[in-house]
Amino acid sequence: MLSFLGYAMRRSLRNMKGNLFPNLTAIATIGISLLIFSSFSLIAFNLATLLKVWEEKFEAIAYLKRGTSLNEVEELLKRIRQLDGVETVNYISPFDAMAFMEERLGGQKNLLEGIQPAILPSSIEIRLKKDYWGRTKIEEIVSSLKGVAQIEEIQYGQEWIETFSVIVHLARLTQWILGALLLAAIIFIISNTLQLTISSRKEEIEAMQMAGASPAFIQIPYYMEGLIQGLLGAGMAAGLLFLLYQVVLITVTPLMKGWLAGIPILFLPWETIARILVGGMVLGLFGSFFASMRFLRYGR
Amino acid sequence: MFSVSKTYPSQITALSDLYLEIPAGEFLFIAGPSGSGKSTLLRILFGAEKPSSGEVIVNGVRLTRPGFKKVHQLRRTMGIISPDFKLLQNRNVKENVAFALEVRGHAPKEIKEKVSDILKQVGLQQREKDSILSLSAGEQQRVAIARALVNDPPLILADEPTGVLDDRMTEEMMGIFSELHQGGATIVFATQDTGLVQCYPYRMIPLPARRRGDTETSEGV
Repeated sequence: MLSFLGYAMRRSLRNMKGNLFPNLTAIATIGISLLIFSSFSLIAFNLATLLKVWEEKFEAIAYLKRGTSLNEVEELLKRIRQLDGVETVNYISPFDAMAFMEERLGGQKNLLEGIQPAILPSSIEIRLKKDYWGRTKIEEIVSSLKGVAQIEEIQYGQEWIETFSVIVHLARLTQWILGALLLAAIIFIISNTLQLTISSRKEEIEAMQMAGASPAFIQIPYYMEGLIQGLLGAGMAAGLLFLLYQVVLITVTPLMKGWLAGIPILFLPWETIARILVGGMVLGLFGSFFASMRFLRYGR
Repeated sequence: MFSVSKTYPSQITALSDLYLEIPAGEFLFIAGPSGSGKSTLLRILFGAEKPSSGEVIVNGVRLTRPGFKKVHQLRRTMGIISPDFKLLQNRNVKENVAFALEVRGHAPKEIKEKVSDILKQVGLQQREKDSILSLSAGEQQRVAIARALVNDPPLILADEPTGVLDDRMTEEMMGIFSELHQGGATIVFATQDTGLVQCYPYRMIPLPARRRGDTETSEGV
């Protein structure tokens, strides 16, 4: 069995060498197609990671009505601290809010010149315990505070998160639609490249058939060729994706520093890369299978 | 073969209602001019073509059974010689002959011995490393014969195996075929050369020349 696989591998490589240009074209096309697909995977993966971090880490800010006394604030802080899942509760006075804005604006803080802290509302920042991170819990807390007279408004970024969720879903959907189209294209490309190889090896195949070679003996080297094409194409896609990722990391990350809020842009996990490589091989196998079904039938 | 007919999509009838029984160990000539259906008959016997109608049984295997897929197993019991040789241009003489054993999974040592023996028999042992392209048509035909016989097949289907050989070589090759026949092999030998047929005491089936739309019934044999 092993000697046959060795023989089949030698034949596949000889076939590929004999049809170098069509094979290289097929590998490059598979590589580019899978690169497009895996780029969308990378974008969707990072957006989903970002969404998860935001969903888990966000906090609720309760803006207080003007004229709320410090006693009322104390009472409110006490009440919120008693809520299940609440880790910290911080009162942000208008002065604290102004200081925070100045810090965020950095060199441009002169924009705030002439603005009195009093125009800013005071607020209470509510953070949850780690075990309670998640949208459901924060929504529970928000609804329990909605009827409180001193609270003007509670914000916890739900609209932004929901919009962002839609973007992530769209990215995933695009990834899979594109993936399905590229999948069909890859199978078509491999099938046609192998058709060329099979045509150029017609004499050899006929001679094999005449000598009584089994269909598997004839077909397996072509399956291997498809597998190799798929693997090399997928490997090329993974390599190019990593290069692209590095370029993005170096050039784009500094520009988006504030927006990313310390969340790193990640490369695809190795399991996903392994899936792309295996996927490339499976597509190659399908392509060669279709080619052999069409062109390697025992002549009858 | 029972009531076998073969009509191509171009409406050319190659065989019409043919009955043929070849007992094991027989040497049978199929004689007829070009286009008489000799090659079609042989191609049906080794499963390269399906008859339009009728039944074909070879070595106890019903080739015309619907869904029959074991053509390769049947061909392993055959030595097939094609008029266009079907040699691999990118391999030398020895590799071309060894190829028939390689694809059947024989061990390298056995392949080496068998190839050497058969090349000696067909008189090509001195040219085993030569490229196929450097051989004459006659030599190429001998390589094709060597490749078909290297596996000692019990059934040999030879389509014009001496077509391009000179008289001396034809006689030598016929000697090899006769020897195989005496060893028990069944040989079906298609040829246009009626002179050759008359030189040997074997049964002969004549196939008449055919034309488009010709459906004249062949005799049962």
